[in-house]
Amino acid sequence: MIYKSLKLAAATAVLALGCANAALADVPSWCGPKKATIALLDGYGGNSWRQVTTASGKQTASLCPSITSYEYADGNGDTQKSISDIKGMAAKGVDALVVFGDAGPAMLPAITSVFKAGKVIVPYRVNVGGKEGENYTKFIGSSFKDDGASWGNWIKGVLPKGGNVLFLSGPAGNSQGLDELAGLKSVLGAEYVFVNPEPFAVTNWDPALTQKVLTAEIAKNAKIDVIVSDFGPSLVGALPLFGKSGKSIPALATSDGNSLGCFWTDVNKDNPDFKLFTVATGNDNVRLAVEHAVAAATGGTPPTEQIFKAPSFEDSTKGNVQCRKDLPGAIYLSSELPADEQAKAVK
Amino acid sequence: MNQHSTITSSYSGLRSISMLPLARSFVTVVLSTVVLIIVCSIFAPSSVSLGALEGSLPFAAVIAIVGLGQLLVVQQGGFDLSLPGAVSLAVVVSTHYPQQDNSLLPMAVVVALGFALVAGVINGILVSIFNLNAIIATIGVNALLYGAVFAVSGGVPSITTTLLAEIAGGTTFGIPNSVFFAAAALMVVSFMLKKTVMGRRFEAIGANPLAAQAVGLQVRRHQMMAYVLAQLLYCMAGILISGITREPTAFQGDTLLLPSVAVVVLGGTSLLGGRGYPISTVIAAFFLNQLSQFALAVGVPYSAQTIIQALALGFGIGVYSVRWTGNSSKQTKNVKMEDTNDLQVS
Repeated sequence: MIYKSLKLAAATAVLALGCANAALADVPSWCGPKKATIALLDGYGGNSWRQVTTASGKQTASLCPSITSYEYADGNGDTQKSISDIKGMAAKGVDALVVFGDAGPAMLPAITSVFKAGKVIVPYRVNVGGKEGENYTKFIGSSFKDDGASWGNWIKGVLPKGGNVLFLSGPAGNSQGLDELAGLKSVLGAEYVFVNPEPFAVTNWDPALTQKVLTAEIAKNAKIDVIVSDFGPSLVGALPLFGKSGKSIPALATSDGNSLGCFWTDVNKDNPDFKLFTVATGNDNVRLAVEHAVAAATGGTPPTEQIFKAPSFEDSTKGNVQCRKDLPGAIYLSSELPADEQAKAVK
Repeated sequence: MNQHSTITSSYSGLRSISMLPLARSFVTVVLSTVVLIIVCSIFAPSSVSLGALEGSLPFAAVIAIVGLGQLLVVQQGGFDLSLPGAVSLAVVVSTHYPQQDNSLLPMAVVVALGFALVAGVINGILVSIFNLNAIIATIGVNALLYGAVFAVSGGVPSITTTLLAEIAGGTTFGIPNSVFFAAAALMVVSFMLKKTVMGRRFEAIGANPLAAQAVGLQVRRHQMMAYVLAQLLYCMAGILISGITREPTAFQGDTLLLPSVAVVVLGGTSLLGGRGYPISTVIAAFFLNQLSQFALAVGVPYSAQTIIQALALGFGIGVYSVRWTGNSSKQTKNVKMEDTNDLQVS
């Protein structure tokens, strides 16, 4: 009996040790031994993309047991509030800050002061100016030029002889749109004619304005062969306008979204020209930024990647468009965060 | 008896005086619109093509409806800055509550109307009973409404129900349904203002609340009514937007505040209150929308688009002002003639 108990105890001990080893092995290399706290500071948190991003950041931080707390602040699109959020978090004693600096270079003084105070601060996605090691720990950009090049290469595949391209982006002069255009032009030759006003048709990423802009462009241009947009889901309401003018929806190169994938699934039979290509919308950009911040704060090994490259996600010519009708339209199946968890985040 | 007949005759006099300015503002805004259409067909013919009109008229209809709401408040010498919150709340209630389930849509509409009534009553109480400045009071209520927008939606857009998309975004006899909604709103507002005793009192109070109070009219009740009816119209506009755009944002009302005031002014209504011009306001909404469509269609850079819009808007208001001063002597004469006619008729 005693022998049996001993055997059981030994087995349990081995199992427990094994688990501990497994747990140790699961700790990512960017997670060091030093205890630290981390905060994500959003410039504007009021849409589903941001909510999925926040949830992704939190999940990444939770992979590192050295992180004792994860905090979040939403600047509500107010630059002053975003600045005081950053300073407030630093004053509270948070060790590492990951910043989505929507206001761009206006955020740099606050970021610099926190960096000078000895905190780890990692701005990501929106370029805030400044220099690494001088104004902030590291900047984790996103390669919008690569997105443009991916779209361009796909367009070359579906329209080898050239054609009319309509490029829609957000607010006038936004750097994301300009970078994407540079990527597109690096691939597409003169046989691809941009029919939109230079450099892109302004939509403010607002579905109502997108609808108005597309109405004007459809009326003006007898032939649009391909639409390029950096926010696919905002086009879902506007694309049926082609049907109203008696035309097929043209090819579309954009970023992904569940509502867009489902829209394609519903209407592609009636719209023979409607080919769809998406790049991942980039919620996972935050993961790379969190990994760098955690590595610097806990003494881990930082990842080698410094720029987030959005992978290609869907291509209807290869038959891999994704749609989850049981889940909200406002989630992004390209995100590493499981779809069900995204659904919870956007509810 | 004697007193009654005095009030009646002063009313008919008031009505006849106001007939002419209506005609003038109407002529001005129609002329501006015709000029715009001619300019469009020369420089950007695509902006007046059938497809373009079908796509842009729903947005004109929405501006017209919020313009009518703002008109009622402006007539009482007020400003309603709670419009963005009100429209956005109607949008999120009519998309988030049903979550794409058609059977829940009627209930969502009822809930949205309920919110609109409450917001209207709060605005009305603050302005007419507590005599708060309308701008301050409605800004406060706007913040409250945005609080409700966040509570309902968390700031996240939701996809509209197919039923609402069909009703608000569909077409009947080739005309967008939203245009019929705008026409119905126009008819109700016009009839109420111009053909009912209540409407006549409403305008008289707006023109001079002190005088109206002196003759025994219920000033506060009518002022409050302006805010409540305005909210109901914003609510209608919000629900229409949810149907017109498939996945409206939670802040869809933000871009409508300035156009709502612009169409009231373009329609010839004085910002100091008094007589209102619903038909001119609706035509001005078409004008304003066509203007932005024109700017988009000429295909100039975004900066030039905004300059074109500003210039044309300035031109529209300028034309109106010039006619106003140039014809003042003629106007007095005409008013007198009209007065006599009116007396003869009655």
